[in-house]
Amino acid sequence: MTIVVEHGCASPSAERMLRSMFEDRKSVFVDLLKWDVPVIDGRFEIDQFDDRHATYLIVADGDGDHLGSARLLPTTRGHILGSLFPELCAGQAPSGPDIFEITRFCLSHRQPAASRRRTRNRLVSALAWHALGRGIRAYTGVAQVGWLQQILAFGWHCRPLGPPRRFESGMIGALAIEIGSDTPALLAANGIWDIAGEPPVSIAQAA
Amino acid sequence: MFDRVEAFVRDVRELQTEEALAGALADVSRDLGFRYFALTHHLDVRRSSAAIRIHNYPEGWAEWFDEQSLGATDPVHRASNVTSVGFAWSRLPDMIVLSADDRRILDLARCQGIGDGFTVPAHVPGEAHGSCSFACAADDPFSERHLSLLQLVGAFSFEAARRMRRARFAAPPIQLTDRQRECVMWAARGKSDWEIARILGISHETVIEHLRHARERYGVGKRTLLAIHALFDGTIGFLDVLRP
Repeated sequence: MTIVVEHGCASPSAERMLRSMFEDRKSVFVDLLKWDVPVIDGRFEIDQFDDRHATYLIVADGDGDHLGSARLLPTTRGHILGSLFPELCAGQAPSGPDIFEITRFCLSHRQPAASRRRTRNRLVSALAWHALGRGIRAYTGVAQVGWLQQILAFGWHCRPLGPPRRFESGMIGALAIEIGSDTPALLAANGIWDIAGEPPVSIAQAA
Repeated sequence: MFDRVEAFVRDVRELQTEEALAGALADVSRDLGFRYFALTHHLDVRRSSAAIRIHNYPEGWAEWFDEQSLGATDPVHRASNVTSVGFAWSRLPDMIVLSADDRRILDLARCQGIGDGFTVPAHVPGEAHGSCSFACAADDPFSERHLSLLQLVGAFSFEAARRMRRARFAAPPIQLTDRQRECVMWAARGKSDWEIARILGISHETVIEHLRHARERYGVGKRTLLAIHALFDGTIGFLDVLRP
């Protein structure tokens, strides 16, 4: 199943998914990729952007355990590209109510390769689906250039926002992904679009 | 100069033919200080009609290169398989062990008028490795100034070429059943049919059947090739196989 958790909601049904997502984020970004990001209780990777403004797209298994996820941040307030890496943009970092930043794209390592690929496809599809439903015109994102070819190979329309730069952690660049009515067909042409029988379910904000 | 790359990215989105892409790439390469470009899959292109290869290298050099079937053994291609970030050719000796043959290829390229260069690796999971290289003419100076822009040009060009190829050579991906995939994964870990049967709790004959069907789907006759193909297209992962 794929769910969208908006406005940092913490309804009981989403809680298990969020918890296993923060755990998987720790094992992927801290243990595997060695990012220098905060870890809470030695188990959860949670930073200053995991607040009520964040939206999470989560692909989970039948038990509600996290398989893959992405965090969307509004660009109308502090976000990673605008606040932490503005120098990656040749001009101003794109911002507006119809532009969101994709951060913490994470695929759990507790699944074999074939399943990881299916999760990836469902997550990328959910990103496009969510954008079309919410009137999001573009996503922005910061990524290691080693991932750039893969992101482009999904088939959606991308454009660079500035020259990549070398940081201690590697060469990093900023990208915009333009979402339009043709995006599902572009993803489908690359065998990525995977949403048919099971569109993502939105979970409303908890009281 | 970033404007130039932005315009290039916008333009290539609309291009439909490899000839048009070659023209656009030659222009942007020259504007960034490089006389030559070569965008290629790392295969013996004479044997693989679906392989991408466009370039503006001097006539004669590319033919000689193909004659020698160098696509997969070229030192630049080998080096680009060990990194996902662009590299200057001057760094080759730090990246791979250069054999006498490798040095001969590099010397010959220089004799053909090809100077220093920069290569952007292009790795898409489940597909042949590729790269986009940019080279100076032998007498021209190599400048590091625009290398981060070449990184972008290489990546966006490779994706454009990939899109054009896909339109011409679309083949459905090979899919295995979950059981076949499990058998292939254990076979890749070196287990015998009998051992796999014990691990999965199914009969010895069933394992033999699963692996036979899997070999048929990939069109290969050997267990080793089956494992390599399944690893290559991501049906099974290196982590699955190497996990203790």
